[in-house]
Formats: sequence, structure tokens, C-alpha cells
Amino acid sequence: MIYLYAIAKGLTTVPDVQGLEGAPLDRQRFDDFDLVVSEHAAKVEPSEEAVLVHARVVEALMPLAAALLPARFGLAFADTAALEQALREKAGTLEESLERVRGRVELGVRVVGEQSAPRDVENGREYLEARRRQVAAADELHESLAARARASARGNASGGLVLSGAYLVDPGSIPAFREAVGELESEHPSLSFALTGPWPPYSFAGVES
Amino acid sequence: MNDTPARPLEQQVTLLELVDRVLNKGVVLSGDITLSVADVDLVYVSLRVLLASAGTLDRLALENGNGS
Repeated sequence: MIYLYAIAKGLTTVPDVQGLEGAPLDRQRFDDFDLVVSEHAAKVEPSEEAVLVHARVVEALMPLAAALLPARFGLAFADTAALEQALREKAGTLEESLERVRGRVELGVRVVGEQSAPRDVENGREYLEARRRQVAAADELHESLAARARASARGNASGGLVLSGAYLVDPGSIPAFREAVGELESEHPSLSFALTGPWPPYSFAGVES
Repeated sequence: MNDTPARPLEQQVTLLELVDRVLNKGVVLSGDITLSVADVDLVYVSLRVLLASAGTLDRLALENGNGS
């Protein structure tokens, strides 16, 4: 079985880290894609440890590739032929996605507000009104951040979570982005902001689930 | 990779963001033997419990976009 970590272009070398279950990392070539994989005699068991190993491999690959699309955890193929067949079907999309993320990193922004549940009808109305304002504020925050990014992706938000956004940026513009988040934070004292990253561009891998 | 020290909220959120990315984002290819979705979901749930137990994370709405 072949387990896939990432699809890259311009990969200089395979990093000196172990793959799932201690397996060595291997590199395969398909067209001009560099595939980072590990081979396993039996099915790999998903575990918390495995998720973190996958993340560690992708992280280690970031500085070694000109462009890198992280694979979602859990992609395994019977053999090289099966992997190549799957790649062939999506070659066009993969090509586009690789060009989009080339040389760029992803930043994550989570904005958390106050969470209040409606206790009765009147509070329910207030709750809905507060929720409506929160959604409008979230749209504004997202648009403002998206304007500073090469691409953006927005996750579902509910409850206390106001915004969960991912922003693709050039590494050089990270300080400016961080500053922009800081400004938004001071404009919205009732909200808590968390800026994370830089991440490998998981949210811009281009293939919708 | 990060020069500026993360603030407390960011440190807590980082692991959550990592797990969200690895399990819910990233390239998916068709025709693969994806590890059993049920197994991966179990890992996700147990990680969420782990993260939630880290304190204030329970108010960070551990949404995974799966509609669950």
C-alpha cells in the first residue's frame, strides 16, 4: 500500500523525518509532479499519532519544494498504478492549484465572540439580532483580510466562533497581515482574534471535499 | 516558522487549526483507498475531546464543517 503525504513541484530532497509507523519517506515522479509517499505492507491504522506524523512530514517538506499541495490525512493506494491513475484524473486541477500556492503560505484567523444562548422568547429575539450583527461583522472582517491575501477560504462558523478563515499570502507580507489583524482586533474590542501559521497551504489544495 | 511569540489564545488554537487542516483540508484524490472514514472520524472526535479539555477551547466552537 502506498500512503501519500503531498504532491509537489521542484522538490529538492526528501526530508530526514519518518513517515507513518516509522516507514521511510520515498519520492516518486509522475509527469512533473513529485510525490512524497511511504510504502506499507499492511493497512495503516489511523491514530492521533499518525495525524501528527502526517502533519510533521508536510511541514518538513514546505521549505524543500517550490510548490506543495498537502494531501488530506488518510490517502492510500493499492500500488503505484492506482496512485498514477488518480493523479491523471486530476492533473489539470493539481497543476492549477500548485501554481496558485507556489512560494506562498497559509495563515489562519479565528475570531471568537461572546456566546449567549437564548433563554426565552425575548432573549431569543435579542440573540437572533446579536447573531445577525455578528454575521455582518464576520463578513466585513473576512473581506478586509481577503483583500490582503492572494486567495482566501472561509470555514463554517457557529456558536461562539465568529469567523474561521484561511488566507494565502506571500511570506513577505506576513508582517503586514499580522498588523492588519491587530488593527481589526483593536477596532473590535468585544472579539478575540487568533492568528496562526504560517501553515502549508492545506486550505488551498484546490479539490473540494 | 513563527518569529513572534504566540499569545495564549493562539497557542491553544494552533493545535486545533492543525488537526482541522490535516483531517478536513488538503488534496483528495478519487479512486484511492482512503482509510476508513469511520476510523478517521473516531480520531477526529478523540482529538476534539483532547483539545476541548485544554480549557477555554470548548468555547471556540470546534466546528469541523462536516455538519455534525
